[in-house]
Amino acid sequence: MKKLEDYLCDYAHFSPQKIALKSAEGALTYHDLWTAVCERATELLLEQSSVYVTRAKQGFDFVIDYLAAHKAGKVIIPLEKDLPDERFQEIITLTAHANIPDVVSDILFTTGTTGKQKGTMITQTVIISDAENLIDAQGFTSDITFIITGPLNHIGSLSKIWPSIIVGATIYIMDGIKDLNAFFTTVKNAPNKVATFQVPASLRMILQLGEKQLKDCADKFDFIETGAAPISQADMEIMCKLLPNTRLYNTYASTETGIIATHNFNDGYCVAGCLGKPMKHSAIKIDDNGYIVCKGKTLMVGYCGDEDETNKVLHDNKLFTKDTGHLDEEGRLQLIGREGDIINVGGFKINPVEVEDIAKSMPEIADCICIPSPHPVLGTVLRLLYVVKEYHSVEKKAIAKYLASKLESYKVPQLYTQIEKVKRTYNGKLNRKAYLPE
Amino acid sequence: MKDHIRTLLEDLLPLVDFNSDFLFAELDSLGVTTILMVLSQEYGIELEAKDATPKNLRSLDSIVEMVNRKISEKK
Repeated sequence: MKKLEDYLCDYAHFSPQKIALKSAEGALTYHDLWTAVCERATELLLEQSSVYVTRAKQGFDFVIDYLAAHKAGKVIIPLEKDLPDERFQEIITLTAHANIPDVVSDILFTTGTTGKQKGTMITQTVIISDAENLIDAQGFTSDITFIITGPLNHIGSLSKIWPSIIVGATIYIMDGIKDLNAFFTTVKNAPNKVATFQVPASLRMILQLGEKQLKDCADKFDFIETGAAPISQADMEIMCKLLPNTRLYNTYASTETGIIATHNFNDGYCVAGCLGKPMKHSAIKIDDNGYIVCKGKTLMVGYCGDEDETNKVLHDNKLFTKDTGHLDEEGRLQLIGREGDIINVGGFKINPVEVEDIAKSMPEIADCICIPSPHPVLGTVLRLLYVVKEYHSVEKKAIAKYLASKLESYKVPQLYTQIEKVKRTYNGKLNRKAYLPE
Repeated sequence: MKDHIRTLLEDLLPLVDFNSDFLFAELDSLGVTTILMVLSQEYGIELEAKDATPKNLRSLDSIVEMVNRKISEKK
């Protein structure tokens, strides 16, 4: 099977001057990128460890590192760019002692289907199959510029590097969309059409603050993909109105399942929750309890060092998710929801227990509960309700800073409320249902 | 006005240091959107993407300046 790096090598030889990577820092041709990858791979080969753990900084260096690690035959573990040192070390320790099958190329850390932080192991077969799924279903072509704004360790962004390289397209890397003017300037200045992946919360931000600019460059967008969290019907309809000639995809994917199904909601059927038909390397079944079960070449190999958790979700060549849905008469997946306590904030899935455990380790906090709270842009943010120990006091900012020193930034609650007592069930468990928004 | 804006924003963005002179660099997409949305609602002014510049969001003082400018333009 041809690997991702083989495609890169081909383009470096046959289209050496084609721009492969762009950002505000400059541009790299396919020849430049391949040269940099080869040099870096040589350096990595000198390192003894078969695993390469790195923070995925938003720029050329990470992409070079990522491809070079593959070329050097290492397993790459890309982590949050602002991951605290303590957690970085924990992951190094976890993966150093784990049994990692030879076929594994990447380990992507995710909250997982059960909510515990896990290293999802994937292979080059998964990477190429995901890429081919996207190329086939969404029409990636060599003349597009794919703008990546999301974190490069997240499957939503990382998975766009794969098809872009396979078709020989240009990847433009931006660090988020906080500078929307820069985003729209990039769109306008691209030589041909552009495509991008944005989580629903980012689309909401674009619609909230940049609706006019989006309309002004409507003809520049070949396609836009969203996913990782539910998008509202209203936002889908506004997008269709503003971008009448752009393909707008809503995709069903996860780190464990790979990229499974996608639906162009700007093609006559615009319904929230519709995630389309399974792509060429994937199949979907709904089990007797309404859960989505996935099959095909894009499934993970397993969770690193956690056979029990792997066996719970992956058996008989099928991945059993905790997402519920049904297949309509056309064979399209209609997503209903997700079971469990996991909170989805802007496409990131967070286990509230992880946040609560860290918060409770703060000397001033007696008890707490982390709950979802409605937000006009993100849809949902985390709110920490906390009880302060007797004769103690603590400021919200101090709690936030403490959590930020121990957790990935997306797991740090946005809102904080001091309360007298946390509601519990009769057997002493946190009564999460009592705090759910009506 | 400055203190009021500080209280409003600190409550919603507890991790952001509003004393910083490099505020824009500290903010993420959500932070920028939150600031613009909250201020446009609070002061009845129109703030959009073109206002989310590093210059306008450089510090709390520059945010106050932007709000004052928008209020005068409205009159």
